[in-house]
Amino acid sequence: MANIAAQRIKREFKEVIKSEEVAKCAIKVELVNDSYTELKGEIAGPPDTPYEGGTFVLEIKVPETYPFNPPKVRFMTKIWHPNISSVTGAICLDILKDQWAAAMTLRTVLLSLQALLSAAEPDDPQDAVVAKQYRENLEMFQITARHWTNVYAGGPHVNSDCDDKIRRLVDMGIEEHQARAALSSYNWDLERATEQLFS
Amino acid sequence: MSSIINAIKSILHSMLQLFWFGKKTITNSLSIYIKTSGGSTISVDLDPTWDIKNVKEIVAPKLGLEPEEVKIIFAGKELGDNITISECDLGQKSILHAVKIKSRPKLPQPRHSLIDEDEEQGSKPLCETLRDTMFSNEDGSRNSANAEDDSSSTKVDKKVHFYVFCPTCKALKHGKLRVRCHFCKSGAFTVHSDPQNWNDVLIPKQITGLCENSPELCANLLDNLEPTFAEFYFKCSEHTSLGEQDQAVPLYLIRPNLSNVPCLACADVSDPVFVFPCPEGHVTCLDCFRQYCITKLNERQFWQHPELGYTLACPAGCVDSFIKEIHHFRLLTDNQYAQYQRFGTEEFVLRSGGVLCPQPGCGMGILVDDPDCMKITCINGCGYVFCRNCLQGYHIGECDSVEDGLKNSGSGGCYSVDPARVADARWDEASKVAIKVLTKPCPKCRTPTERDGGCMHMICTRAGCGFHWCWVCQTDWTRDCMGSHWFG
Ligand SMILES: [Zn+2]
Ligand SMILES: [Zn+2]
Ligand SMILES: [Zn+2]
Ligand SMILES: [Zn+2]
Ligand SMILES: [Zn+2]
Ligand SMILES: [Zn+2]
Ligand SMILES: [Zn+2]
Ligand SMILES: [Zn+2]
Repeated sequence: MANIAAQRIKREFKEVIKSEEVAKCAIKVELVNDSYTELKGEIAGPPDTPYEGGTFVLEIKVPETYPFNPPKVRFMTKIWHPNISSVTGAICLDILKDQWAAAMTLRTVLLSLQALLSAAEPDDPQDAVVAKQYRENLEMFQITARHWTNVYAGGPHVNSDCDDKIRRLVDMGIEEHQARAALSSYNWDLERATEQLFS
Repeated sequence: MSSIINAIKSILHSMLQLFWFGKKTITNSLSIYIKTSGGSTISVDLDPTWDIKNVKEIVAPKLGLEPEEVKIIFAGKELGDNITISECDLGQKSILHAVKIKSRPKLPQPRHSLIDEDEEQGSKPLCETLRDTMFSNEDGSRNSANAEDDSSSTKVDKKVHFYVFCPTCKALKHGKLRVRCHFCKSGAFTVHSDPQNWNDVLIPKQITGLCENSPELCANLLDNLEPTFAEFYFKCSEHTSLGEQDQAVPLYLIRPNLSNVPCLACADVSDPVFVFPCPEGHVTCLDCFRQYCITKLNERQFWQHPELGYTLACPAGCVDSFIKEIHHFRLLTDNQYAQYQRFGTEEFVLRSGGVLCPQPGCGMGILVDDPDCMKITCINGCGYVFCRNCLQGYHIGECDSVEDGLKNSGSGGCYSVDPARVADARWDEASKVAIKVLTKPCPKCRTPTERDGGCMHMICTRAGCGFHWCWVCQTDWTRDCMGSHWFG
C-alpha cells in the first residue's frame, strides 16, 4: 500500500477511536491486518428505526489510492434495506461512489452509513426488491427489516410469525436463509414463496 | 558627507571580509552584466559587499558620466545607493541596467529624513521588498494566519520563495521575479507600484511603470491612450542565467507553508505545499499532489477543459477549482508526465469523435472521418477490425449477437486515419491491464469500460460523463434492467 493511504488511515483510525460516537458505542472500528489495508467497522442501528438494537458489521477495504478514491465498504451483516443489497451487502451511497471527496474520513463514512439506515433513499436503490416493498408496503418493509435485524444483527424484536413461516419452509428442505429471503421478497406470502422456491 | 560615510562603510566591509573570509572572498564575486541606455553591455565582477554607489563609480566612466548622473535599475526598481550587492538577490550573469538620469523631478524637501530621501531616489529591488505572504491569496487579501505571524514578526524569519518549473534544470526550483517593459521588453523599467497579488503578476497590464529604455517610444506607443505597462516573468534561481530569454514558468499554486497548514490527504505539515485554486484554498503536500494526479490519471478522471487543457480540480470536490496552469503537472515524474500527455491526446481523440482501439495492449486513438461508418480498422496500431458500436470484432447486423468471428482483416476499411494525428495516441502499459477481454463502450461517450464484478449497472468513469448504463442493453440503466438482468 502506498504510504499516503496507510498514513492517512492510521490517523483516521485514531480519530474514530477517540470520537464521541465511539464513546457512545454508536460506531466502532477494528484493524483486520497490520498494513491498514482492511478494517472492520461496526455501526449501531439508529433508534426509532427497524434497525434499532442491532449491530451491523462492515467490511472496509482501503484502496492504494486512498484518500483520492473512496474506501470499498460492504455490509457483512445481512440487512434488509433499499440501498443495501440483501444478497451481497453492497452499498449504494453517493459518497462511496462519485461524490467521494478526499476530505472525507472513516468517521464520516461510518456516520453517513448510520444516517442511511435512518433515512433510506428508495429512488436510488441498490436492492430493487427491497425498494419496491419500501415504496409499496412500508409496514411490511418494517416488519421484514426488524426481523432481519433480530436474526442477523442481534436486534431484540422476535417475530414469531416470521419464524414459523421460515420453519415450515425449512421443514420442506429449504435452507434457512434462502427461505427467509424468499418470504421477505414475497411479503411473507408463504404460498408464493413456496411456489418460487420450487419452480 | 554621505560619500565619506560610504567610503568608510566600504572600508569597514572589506576589513570585515578579510577578517571573516580571508582569501575566499575572491571566489565569492558575482559576474554581472550591466546594460547601458546606449545599448552596450559591460561585463563586471562585483563583490557582494559592495553597494550600488560603488557600482555607479565603476559604470559611470564607461558611459562618460559622473556617478551622480547614473541610476541602476534591477527587477522593476531603481536601486538606492546604500543597497549592497548581496541584498539584491542577483544570480550569476544577472543583468543590471544603467540609465542616465535625465533630470531629478525635484530635490528632496528639507524636512524629509534620510530614509525618505532614500525611498524617493531608489530602493531595494522588487524581489526584496515583496514578501511572498502578499501572494498567499489570489485576491491579495492576507489570510488570518499570516496576519498573526506579522504581529509577531520575529517569527517570520525563514526566507520565502516563489516556485517555478525550470525548463533548463527540468525540475521544481526556487524562482526570482523579474520585470521588463511590456512593449519593448527592456529590463530598464521601473514600476509605479508593487504587485500586491498573483493576479497583478500573472494577468498582463495590471501594473504601470516607466520604461527607461525608450520612454518616448513606449509611453507614446498607442498615442498615449494607454500607460506603459510592466511585464512580470520568472527566472530559475538555481542555475546561472543563460541570458534574457532564459525564463521559468511560475508554479504559483506551490507556496511556502508559512501558517503550517496540514495536508488534506495525509495530514502532514510540510513546506512548500500545493494550494488548490478553490475558494477554501485546500492544501496538499507535494507527494500527495503527485499521488492524486496519478490516481486520477489512471482512472481518466482528468478533464479536457476547452481553454485550460487536460486538468484536475480540487480533491475535496470544490466547484470552480480547476488548475489553470497545467505546467503544475510537471511535478510528475517524466514517465508520468508522458502518460499525462498521452491521455490528454487520447481525450482529444475522443472529443473529436474518434475512437480508441479496444484490443488489449493497443488502445491506438483513431480519428474517424465518416460518422456513419461502423467498421473500424486499427491501421496504425494492431490491425484489429472492430465494430464502432459494441467494440467487439467487426460483424454484420445487430450488435448484441456477439459474433466476433467475422474479422475480415481489413486492408483499408471505409475511413481514413491521419497517422500524424494519432501517432502519439497510444495507451501505455498501465492501461493494458484495464482493457481486458470484457470491455464495452459507454453508450454516451464511447469510452471502453471494463465490467467489474457481476453487476450489470455500469457507471462511466470518464470525467464529465458519469453515464449510468446497462451492460446488457447498452442504453440507459432502467428499473427494467434491475428487474430482468441486474446480476449475471
Ligand atoms: Zn534552473
Ligand atoms: Zn519600453
Ligand atoms: Zn500529504
Ligand atoms: Zn477545495
Ligand atoms: Zn489497435
Ligand atoms: Zn457491434
Ligand atoms: Zn461515458
Ligand atoms: Zn438492461
